[in-house]
Amino acid sequence: MLERAIQIDNVHVDYPVAGQASRSVLNGISLQIESGEFVAIVGETGCGKSTLLRLILGEEKPTRGRLLLNGCERWQPDRHCGYVPQKYSLFPDKTVLDNVTFGPEVTAFGAWSGLRWIRPLQMRLFREEALRYLRHTGLDESDARKYPYQLSGGMQQRVAIAQALIMKPPILLMDEAFSALDSATRTGMQRLIKKLWRESGTTVVFVTHNTREAVCLGTRVIALAKNGDGNRGSSIALDLGVPDLDFDSEEIDIGKLVREVDRATARERPLVYN
Amino acid sequence: MSFLRIHAQPGRTAIWTLSWSLFAAGIVLYFYVAQQRHRENPDDRVMPTIAQMVRGFSDAALKPAAEEEVQAASGSSLLARFRTSMLWTDTLASGRRFLISVALLFPAVLLGLHMAMFPVIGAFFLRFILFFDKIVALSLLPILFIAFGIDELSKIMLIVIGVTPTIILDTFNLTKSVPREQIVKGFTLGASDFSITYRIVFKQIWPRVLNSIRLNLKAVMLFLFAGEMIASTDGLAYRIALLRRHMGMDTIIPYVLWVALLLFLVDFAMNKLNHKLHPWFQER
Repeated sequence: MLERAIQIDNVHVDYPVAGQASRSVLNGISLQIESGEFVAIVGETGCGKSTLLRLILGEEKPTRGRLLLNGCERWQPDRHCGYVPQKYSLFPDKTVLDNVTFGPEVTAFGAWSGLRWIRPLQMRLFREEALRYLRHTGLDESDARKYPYQLSGGMQQRVAIAQALIMKPPILLMDEAFSALDSATRTGMQRLIKKLWRESGTTVVFVTHNTREAVCLGTRVIALAKNGDGNRGSSIALDLGVPDLDFDSEEIDIGKLVREVDRATARERPLVYN
Repeated sequence: MSFLRIHAQPGRTAIWTLSWSLFAAGIVLYFYVAQQRHRENPDDRVMPTIAQMVRGFSDAALKPAAEEEVQAASGSSLLARFRTSMLWTDTLASGRRFLISVALLFPAVLLGLHMAMFPVIGAFFLRFILFFDKIVALSLLPILFIAFGIDELSKIMLIVIGVTPTIILDTFNLTKSVPREQIVKGFTLGASDFSITYRIVFKQIWPRVLNSIRLNLKAVMLFLFAGEMIASTDGLAYRIALLRRHMGMDTIIPYVLWVALLLFLVDFAMNKLNHKLHPWFQER
């Protein structure tokens, strides 16, 4: 039996509002994600997708309910989860190579990681591994000496993925990681992450507002939808298993799946097209 | 009138000419007015002529400061004479106080960083620093002279009290402006609180903190001058205050320009060094 990577039991998240009743964001979310799954979480803007991701990350605590990662509660973000946000994913003061070797360095040297030059042999091994990961994500050695501001948005996200994967995290969390990219780069990045997921077997939780992206990437699509006018928080509107497809696959009607998920996310607030 | 438009692109010569034109205009205007005043009153001491200022400055820069050094300096090289001069001894005295004060800003930077990174430290210090920042430092001058005497400590304390709250709060705000994603990312890469504070956040804000210190150099100098003018026996401001009693404008004006030049050079060097040491830093 597969090990349960993430278990969310009846989680509620309420935010206090000064002088008013607290505002509910997530309302009774229950979700089990098995190890090695690629789960895409989709929903309208403001429906609590990123809140759910922050809960898994340990960055936020549920008001009620329980959240376990590999059977343990976690109180702050740690190495258990890799993280690729939409923006600010790289450290601007470090070169591409230093960004990727940062994780292994701080893990190996701890508080003395600033004195990395006293361990040249180990640093060389880290650099070689980082270069391997960079090549794997489609970058070459000439990019390794560049600073993040010298890279395009797509290249920055490739580095961010290499930076996260070099730590071999059991769970990789991606928060609208490709939202700021142009269409062609985005497709390239989607193919890359799918390839890396297949190779590594890491559990991936991918948050997006783009239904098509969710359906094409995930082996499971979780659609969140606001309840009523949104004051009662969001809950899971659809939990849909999707075959692991290539992007140009014609085995199933992707458009039909997209429409199905769109209907679910807009369950209580149907979109009106004139 | 296209050269006055937002999209105007002045050439190198135009930029060079424009940037120096106000200096040239100021110098020309000064000497024209000085000449007019001297034509009406040859003993005018308010606006010295160029010859008087050159004489005053060379006296300050090449004549020994103390009587006992007159003998030793006579017949020695220009550099040796400059090193025993009033200008050099005053510059050294003020420079030493200035450097100690700037060095004391570093603990302020660390305090601001820790206040922003660790909520408990922030809760402990922030309200007090915000209040402390509103105290007019110069109003504390009499208290400082009573508490610390009229020697070096009171002058340095004046600078510290005057400038450190600004640096603490500036560093606090700069630290808070580091995106939360960077800190979360650090944790997911296995970094400890210490590594995140120093290897991620501090390294990112350091060039901006240096800029903040650069912008506060004038405030440091202002408090230093206030202290020196009131209670000192040496230093650039002490000399300016002393010469004021004798209407020594022929030395005061070169002294003021010398101070401005020194500050300009320190600012220029810090800016160049900042960009040399942090090539990733894009802010100008």
